[in-house]
Amino acid sequence: MAKIVVIGAGFAGQTAAIYLGTRLGKKHQVTVMSNRDVFGYVPSWVWVGVGHMKPEETIFKLKPVYDRINVRFVHAAAKEIHPDPGDQYVVGEEIGTGNPVRLDYDYLVIAPGPLLNFAGTPGLGPEHGFTHSICSLPHAVKTRDAYLALVERMKKGERVKIVIGTGHPLATCQGAAFEYISNVHKDLLKRGLRDKADILWLSNEPALGDFGVNGVQVKRNGIVMKSEEFIKSVFLDAGIRWQVQTGVKKVEEGKIYWENYEGQEGVTEFDFAMLIPQFKGQPFKYIGKDGEDISAKIVNPAGFVMVDGKYGLPYQELVQTPEAWPARYQNPTYPNIFAAGIAFAPPGPISKPFTNPNNFMIAPAPPRTGMVSGMIGRVVALNIVDLVNGREPSHSERMTEMVAACIASMGDSLWDGSAVAIVMRPVVPDRKKYANEYGRDLFISHLEMGLAGAWMKFMLHHTFIWKFKALPGWQLIPE
Amino acid sequence: MSEQQFSKAEKFWMNFKLYQLWRFLVLNIKIYTIVVQSKWK
Repeated sequence: MAKIVVIGAGFAGQTAAIYLGTRLGKKHQVTVMSNRDVFGYVPSWVWVGVGHMKPEETIFKLKPVYDRINVRFVHAAAKEIHPDPGDQYVVGEEIGTGNPVRLDYDYLVIAPGPLLNFAGTPGLGPEHGFTHSICSLPHAVKTRDAYLALVERMKKGERVKIVIGTGHPLATCQGAAFEYISNVHKDLLKRGLRDKADILWLSNEPALGDFGVNGVQVKRNGIVMKSEEFIKSVFLDAGIRWQVQTGVKKVEEGKIYWENYEGQEGVTEFDFAMLIPQFKGQPFKYIGKDGEDISAKIVNPAGFVMVDGKYGLPYQELVQTPEAWPARYQNPTYPNIFAAGIAFAPPGPISKPFTNPNNFMIAPAPPRTGMVSGMIGRVVALNIVDLVNGREPSHSERMTEMVAACIASMGDSLWDGSAVAIVMRPVVPDRKKYANEYGRDLFISHLEMGLAGAWMKFMLHHTFIWKFKALPGWQLIPE
Repeated sequence: MSEQQFSKAEKFWMNFKLYQLWRFLVLNIKIYTIVVQSKWK
């Protein structure tokens, strides 16, 4: 009987757990270790953050789901991984009691989601800083409360400054921030308070609409349209100001300190700010059989798990080497360790990194959340199924092959809401396969805004929660 | 669409329910087909 341990129960971990449980759970032991006993549907937290959705509508308990699909659940925070052959196990700390928990494994999936590195930007974050976040449910709830308090001030006639974007020069997940700024705009418009707010998009992207993926390009009527022009129109229409090519360095009460591509330093004042922090890998200890620290064999300095990618290529070479992106998400030193979702180390950025005259690097990190996370979770799970059944791993999907669809909410109303539907293939440009300067399939790639997007976003909320609960027909719902 | 704000016509179509219902169906079919092809390739 094989023992498979999955660390984490987010998009990647939950997807892997569902595939593993349904395919191996009856004959083998599949265990999920997570520090949360609920699954959180992250894409809907933008609505929680403006008070349009109750937090409990975005979560469900994990254990009843796992009981149905033959997965064991351990409610514990993973702390140590002992990967050396002969005695391979994970040590966690049980939530509530603090007791140590040991789980032996034959195959390990590391999918714990990101460490939100608020400490990387002094003054950032809701706990020890002055800004807000929608990267966790407690943060989204806190953001909602602060936002609604701001609304009350505006009702009394006060004019306020709202800043939304990225809070670190290497941050990712610009898409979530874009959804939040659009929803804030729409909410204020509905409340009749939009004229009381100056809203600014502050981001580390090289250009508007870059989203950390080098933008989206689509061909319409023979003309290539770029997401930069599209998002510019959205912001102009909404009266949202923007400042890109900017890395936030420090935050103080009501003040954001930044530096831009030109090397200029500046300060932006705010009454309310939601800034996405840098993401890092979870700080697990990787311990060898003699008790020594073997982190360097498994993770990069940021804590992301090294997998079957080609690391260390300069950006110009990386963009010409689609095969540098990992295919199986398998650690080369310990082939029974896989990483899924944000946990795997990408070989480099997708968007062009920039170092300014002061040697200050501004480079959005590659997004590996949502659909990408789910797809990697599936690939990893199906390869483990192959290995357990004595076959060679037969599944692979590089980000240079993946198609991704993203519905970016711009107001949740089913009557007059809106969303941008974005489809891109591949997520990471492949300039060898697609003979255009963008490295994308311009026929498949799609960019469209309208009420239909709001309906799709609503539908996705319900269908994905259905899937993640492993309810009948979940296999028909793509990642 | 230019690099300016959306035109009145564009805004009209973005919220015209019948047209959006059509787009909803088209987008769902397009996305589902592409993603499922990718999933089982």
